Amino acid sequence: MIKLEEVTKVYKGDVVALRNASVDINKGEFVYLVGKSGSGKSTFLRLLNKEERPTRGRIFVAGKDIGELSSWKVPLLRRNIGCVFQDFKLLPNKTVSENVAFALEVIGRPRQVIKAQVPAILDLVGLGNKAENFPDELSGGEQQRVSIARAFVNRPLILLADEPTGNLDPATSVGIMRLLDRINKTGTTVVMATHDRNIVDTMRRRVIELDHGEVIRDQARGVYE
Amino acid sequence: MPIKVDYVARETVTNLKRNFTITLASVLTVFVSLFLVGFALMLRQGVEKATQRWQGGIEFIVFMNPNASPDQLQAVRSKLENSPDTEKFTFVDQNAAYDEFKELFKDQPDLTENVGPDVLPPSFRVVPREKAAAAVEEMSTPFKTQPGVKEVVSATETTKLVQELSDKVTKGMGFVAIVLLSVAVLLILNTIRMAMFSRRREIEVMKLVGATNSFIRVPFMLEGLFQGVVGAGLAVIALVVFLPFFERWLPPADQFPLFSGFVPGGPDMLITYLLVGGIGCLVGTLGAGVAVSRFLDV
Repeated sequence: MIKLEEVTKVYKGDVVALRNASVDINKGEFVYLVGKSGSGKSTFLRLLNKEERPTRGRIFVAGKDIGELSSWKVPLLRRNIGCVFQDFKLLPNKTVSENVAFALEVIGRPRQVIKAQVPAILDLVGLGNKAENFPDELSGGEQQRVSIARAFVNRPLILLADEPTGNLDPATSVGIMRLLDRINKTGTTVVMATHDRNIVDTMRRRVIELDHGEVIRDQARGVYE
Repeated sequence: MPIKVDYVARETVTNLKRNFTITLASVLTVFVSLFLVGFALMLRQGVEKATQRWQGGIEFIVFMNPNASPDQLQAVRSKLENSPDTEKFTFVDQNAAYDEFKELFKDQPDLTENVGPDVLPPSFRVVPREKAAAAVEEMSTPFKTQPGVKEVVSATETTKLVQELSDKVTKGMGFVAIVLLSVAVLLILNTIRMAMFSRRREIEVMKLVGATNSFIRVPFMLEGLFQGVVGAGLAVIALVVFLPFFERWLPPADQFPLFSGFVPGGPDMLITYLLVGGIGCLVGTLGAGVAVSRFLDV
């Protein structure tokens, strides 16, 4: 599903964010990306939906070399990749259901489809009763659920999560992880960058560790360290 | 991907409301600059029309009697040809005079229908070597007594003054209009930039979930176009309203014949209006286009 071949990313000023990284992730896998701040986790994720371009190397998503994707096709790539962030990136002036509907609206889904899918996905993430609330009326965990609902409402092949539990307390984090696990079980490939030792050690999945941009460990059912 | 009309309309209207004051500033700047452009064009057309016969350095015109004999015409012609003071001259026969007459009075069909080429005087339009009033006077006087000559008309100082003045005024107004139009482009650019800034979170989300570039850009482009078009629309309305006042300010035609038929008529003004509208669209699209390509990295 995702394949990196000798990928190197150098930012301005010779900052090497990723060095000769080669990774192969199959459909339906759940992968933790661990490593210190600045080890290249976020760059790894940003390369996958072409927010950044690799300096060297090739990246395949769903069998296609995304380096050869013309720029007008990038949006189509992104429709197959859901994204979740530490800071949620919800729109504060829209309600929960409007936030989720927005993601469908801007890719031109018909109104009937939006009307049917938004309540369904909100039920799935357990927020059916908060549809008309605004994001700042929700707890952090609930806001992250909204953002997961938005990322998943379009049924993407891949879900990228950049420290989704970074702002949440341990109990709430467990709830979020259960949700991500459920999404993973529907066949969606999940790649999650995290600092959360507890989570990695309890919910054992494949672990890829980065250090100064290099893949130093790739372990099935691994632990944090 | 088809872009949904209701979505685009809603987004554009929201943007316009959010930045109401600055939108107003752009619209008013477009309006003022295009009003100036329109007025300058109008003035230029008016002066050209009123002084049509006096273009290209023509200083006096010898009008012959409509029934002047070929010999009489030939006499005047050879006199002009042999005069050392003549730089050049043109002969306007009755048919050409009729065409000119029709052009000048095209708004008054009564007049053009009742007049035929046979009643109009043929004329010689003379460009003398020496342009000073006294020299022109000296050169033209002998023609007054020539057989077959109806009258000799000189370009007055006023005519020349009007031509010169209008030339300067149009140039000045054109310059100010260009400066103002540049200001308008920059203002629109900034309005769009601010609109994009205030919606940067939404734009970020749109990019993440895979909205196409055109989907993200179109509402902003429309916002710029809207500002240009509304400004141009106001300018056209103002010109239409202003035209009768302008006509009233002019001295009455019987006292000051130069200004008869000065105010440009329908088709001329239509071209002016279209031009003003076109420039408005261009200014709006240009401002928004630059803003979108510079500040919307999709």
